[in-house]
Amino acid sequence: MHEDLAEFSLAYLKKAGVEYAEARLEEHQTNRFILKNSRLEAGGSNHYYGLGLRYILHKTMGFISANDFGKDDKEKIKQLMEQSLKLTAKSSKIKEAINFSPAQAVKEDYQTLQKIKIQDFPTEEKIKLIAEIDKSVLAAKVKVPNRYFSLSDDLLYKFYLNSEGTKITAKIPRVVLMYYLTLVENNQPVQRYWEYGSSCGYESFGRWQLDKKLPEEIKALAKNVKLGIKPPQQADVVVAPEVTGIMVHESAGHPYEADRIFGREAAQAGESFINQKMLGKKIGQECITVADDPTLPGSYGYFLYDDEGVKARRKLLVKNGLINEFLHNRETAARLSLASNGSARANNYDKEAMVRMSNTFLMPGNYTEEELFEDIKLGVYIKNFMEWNIDDKRLNQKYVGNEAYLIKNGRLTDQPVKKPAIEITTPKLWSSADAVANNSEYHAGNCGKGEPMQAIPVWFGGPSFRIRNLRLS
Amino acid sequence: MITHISEQLKKEMLKAGADEVVVITTQQKATQLKFVNNKIAKTGTEEFINYDLFITKNKKILTTSFMPSEKETIKEFCQKNVKLINYLPPNKNYKGLAEGPFKYRKIEQSYDPKIEKLGEKAVDIIEEGINAALTEGAKRVAGNLELYSFENFITTSHNVEFSEKGTKWYSSVRALVDQYATGHMTSCGRMLPIKIEETASFAGEIAKKAKNPQPGVEGKFDLIFEPLPLANLFNLAAYAASIFEFESGLSFLTRLNERFGSEKVTLADDATLPNGFNSTAADLEGVPTRRNIILDKGIFKTYLHNTSTARRYKTQTTGNAGLISPGPWNVWVAPGDHKKEELFKEIKRGVYITNIWYTRFQNYITGEFSTIPRDGIFLIKNGKIEYPIKEIRIKSTMPEFLKNISALSNKQHQIKSWEADTPTFTPAVLVKNITITKPK
Repeated sequence: MHEDLAEFSLAYLKKAGVEYAEARLEEHQTNRFILKNSRLEAGGSNHYYGLGLRYILHKTMGFISANDFGKDDKEKIKQLMEQSLKLTAKSSKIKEAINFSPAQAVKEDYQTLQKIKIQDFPTEEKIKLIAEIDKSVLAAKVKVPNRYFSLSDDLLYKFYLNSEGTKITAKIPRVVLMYYLTLVENNQPVQRYWEYGSSCGYESFGRWQLDKKLPEEIKALAKNVKLGIKPPQQADVVVAPEVTGIMVHESAGHPYEADRIFGREAAQAGESFINQKMLGKKIGQECITVADDPTLPGSYGYFLYDDEGVKARRKLLVKNGLINEFLHNRETAARLSLASNGSARANNYDKEAMVRMSNTFLMPGNYTEEELFEDIKLGVYIKNFMEWNIDDKRLNQKYVGNEAYLIKNGRLTDQPVKKPAIEITTPKLWSSADAVANNSEYHAGNCGKGEPMQAIPVWFGGPSFRIRNLRLS
Repeated sequence: MITHISEQLKKEMLKAGADEVVVITTQQKATQLKFVNNKIAKTGTEEFINYDLFITKNKKILTTSFMPSEKETIKEFCQKNVKLINYLPPNKNYKGLAEGPFKYRKIEQSYDPKIEKLGEKAVDIIEEGINAALTEGAKRVAGNLELYSFENFITTSHNVEFSEKGTKWYSSVRALVDQYATGHMTSCGRMLPIKIEETASFAGEIAKKAKNPQPGVEGKFDLIFEPLPLANLFNLAAYAASIFEFESGLSFLTRLNERFGSEKVTLADDATLPNGFNSTAADLEGVPTRRNIILDKGIFKTYLHNTSTARRYKTQTTGNAGLISPGPWNVWVAPGDHKKEELFKEIKRGVYITNIWYTRFQNYITGEFSTIPRDGIFLIKNGKIEYPIKEIRIKSTMPEFLKNISALSNKQHQIKSWEADTPTFTPAVLVKNITITKPK
C-alpha cells in the first residue's frame, strides 16, 4: 500500500501549520455475486484503495481524498493539499469552530481472524452457497417467482495515523448476504427482504442457516395470505428480535448521535428530539437498557479503534429507562467537556469520519419469550417486518409486520395476523414496554447518514420485548 | 493518459481470452463545502480516477475495477480476471454488447470551465446562500455545496470509443427557525450561475411559515406536492421501469400499455437534457442516449433496457446501460398548465407537502408504501394555507398516487436529493384523495 504517502502527507500538513492532522489509508478487496431467479447475473471482483486526509486549520475542518497514485504521487497529493488549505483558510472567516477533546496516542495493530478465509474460499463455493439457498426456497412448495440474492465479501485493510502520535493498522473481513423474495399466494404478491452480515470469514454463513430459515419464512407468509386476519385495533404487542433491532436502531440509536444533537447533520440526516439537558431524564421503563458496542467479536459493525484513533468501548445510551450517554466523536465530546467514546466512522477513505452507530441493541432481560405472552389476553406477536420509517427528529415512527400471529389468553396461537402496523412516538414506545426477554439476536444492516451519503455496516438487535396497549392499524 | 490505460486494459483483456470488454474510465475533481449553524463546518477536496471493467467469456460475466499498482501489471491484472471468470457459471440470458461505432450528439450546457476555476470563491457563494435564508427569517442554516469537473472515457471490444468532459454543481439548503419550523430545498445543474440564493430563500420562506405547527391530521386529503418531495416518488417510478428491477420483483410497473398514472402524467427518462445533472451522450456500453417516455399520459410505454436485455425481449435498447442493471439518467416529468398558486385554489381540504423522506415499501409489486413529510407541512382549507401541522405520514400505493394526480404546475425544477439520487425535472402537483395517518 502507500503508507509512505500517508506519512508524507501528514508531515506536509503539519509543516503547513495545521493544528491537527490525520491520514487514513484504506484498501478493499471485494467480491460480489448476484443470483436472480436461479441465474447468476454476474460476478464482481474489485480492488480499490485511496487516502483520506483530515486536518484543522484556524479551527476549520478540511478533508482531502485521492486515489490516483502513480510515480509522481507525492507531487499530486501536495497540489491537492495546497488547494485544500487555501479553501479552508478562506472558509475560516465563517467557520464553525472545531475543537477536539483530548485523546491518548496509541500504537496498535489488530485483525479479525477468519476460520474460512474469504481470500481462500473458492469462487465456485461462494456461488454454490447462494444457489443452495435458492434451491431450498424452490423446494418449499410455495410459488416464489422472484428470487434475488446478493452475496458480498470485503477484506478491509486500514492504516491510520495522526499528528498526536497515534498509529493503527486494522484488517477486518466482512461477509454479507441480502435477499428479496416475492411469493404469490391466492394471486397476491407478498415480499420479504432481509440481510445477514458478519465481520469474519465464510464460517458465518453456516451459522445463518438460511437454507432452513428462508423456506420457513415463505411458508409462513403464504399461510399469512391464506389465513391471516386483520389485527385487533387495541392490543398488547410482543416484537421478536428482528423488530426489536430496527426499533432500537431508529429510535434509541440515532437520537443519541451527538452530531445530530448539535445540528451538524441538520441539512439531511436531521436532528434529534433529545438534547443535552435531557441526560439523566426518563425515556422508557426501567427494563429498557440500550447499548452500542463495536467490540462484539464477529459483529457486522465491528472495530476496536474508531476512525479518529480512539479506543472503542460499549456505551449504554439508555440505562434502566434513563437517557445515559450520547455517541461521540472528538468534536462533539469537546462540546460537553467529555472524552470521545470512539464513535467516529467513515465508510471509505473518501469520506469524513462522523458520529455513527456500530452494533446497537436492547440489553436482555430475565424472561423467556414464552413468558412475555403469559398475561396477555389479546395481543399480536410480530416476527418480522417490511415497511418502516421515522421522522428526522426520531419521534414519529412506523413498523408494519410481515409475519405476525395472534396472542390469546396468555398463549401464542398459530392464527396469522395481516400487516399489523404500529405508528407511535418514541417516548410512548419505550414507556409502554414492560418486559424484556433473554433471546437476543443481532441483525445486519447498512445505516445511512451524511452528505455525501455514507452507508455503513451495523448490527441492530436484542431480545423480544413486550409493549402494552397499543393501537394497531 | 487515461485513454492509454483504458485501451491497454481492453487489449490485454482480449489477449487474455475475454470475448467482450467494456472499460469505463472516470476522472473526477470535486470540491465540497458543508455548512452548519450559519458557518462552514468542513471543506472537502477530492480527486479520483476509476477504471471499471465489464468482461464476458462464454456468457460468463464479471465486473471488476483496475487500480494502477507497482505490484501488478495491466497484463497480470487481465490474466487474473480472465482466469477468475472461468469459475463463474454462464448467464444464458446474456445477449451481448452493442456493436459500434456510433455517432454522438453534443449535450448542450454540460460543461462550464468557470466552475473549474471557482476555487475559494465557493465560500462567497455559501455566504450568499446563508444570508438569503437568514433574510427570509431563518435562525439557523445548514447545507452543502458541491462542485464537480470530470472526464469520462468508454472503450469497448465492439468498436465503441466515447469521451466526454463535464462540470456539475449541487446545492442543498435547510433553513431552521426552530426545531419544528424548518424548510428545505435543493438545486443542481451543469453551468453557472449556482442558484443558491433562490434555493435558500425558498427554504427560509417555508421555515418561517412553519412556525408553531399544530398536531397532525388524519384521513383522506388532497395534497400539493412541491418538486422536492415529488422527485423522490418519481425517482422510484423511473427505477421501477428498469427491466432488472421488474425481473427482481421490485417494480409496480408490471405490464406494458397499462395505465399506472392519470392522463396528466407523462414521465420520461432523458439523458439528453441541456443542463441535466446526469446528462450524457452515451450509456455505459456506448449506445447514444435518448429520451424514453415511460408513462405517456399515464400509460406505461417502455422498460429501460441495455442491448442484452433488449435483445432478450426482442426490442431495441433504450440507451440505459447499466451493463448489469439498466437505470434512468435524468427523470423528467411533463409540466402542466397551472400556475402553482392555482393548484391551491382547487382544494377544499388538503395538505401542502414541501419535503418527504424515508419512503419505504411494504410491497414493491403492489407499490404499497408510506413516507414521512418533513420540513414545512401546511393544512389547506378552501384554497388557502390555514396553518402549519406536524407529525403526519402519507400512506398510498405508487399506482394510486400517480393515478390521483389531477393537475401539474407549469414550471419544472431540477431536483437532486438524498432520496432522489437521480436528478429529476418536475413541477409541483395536486394529487387527490390520499391517506394521511399520524402516531396513535
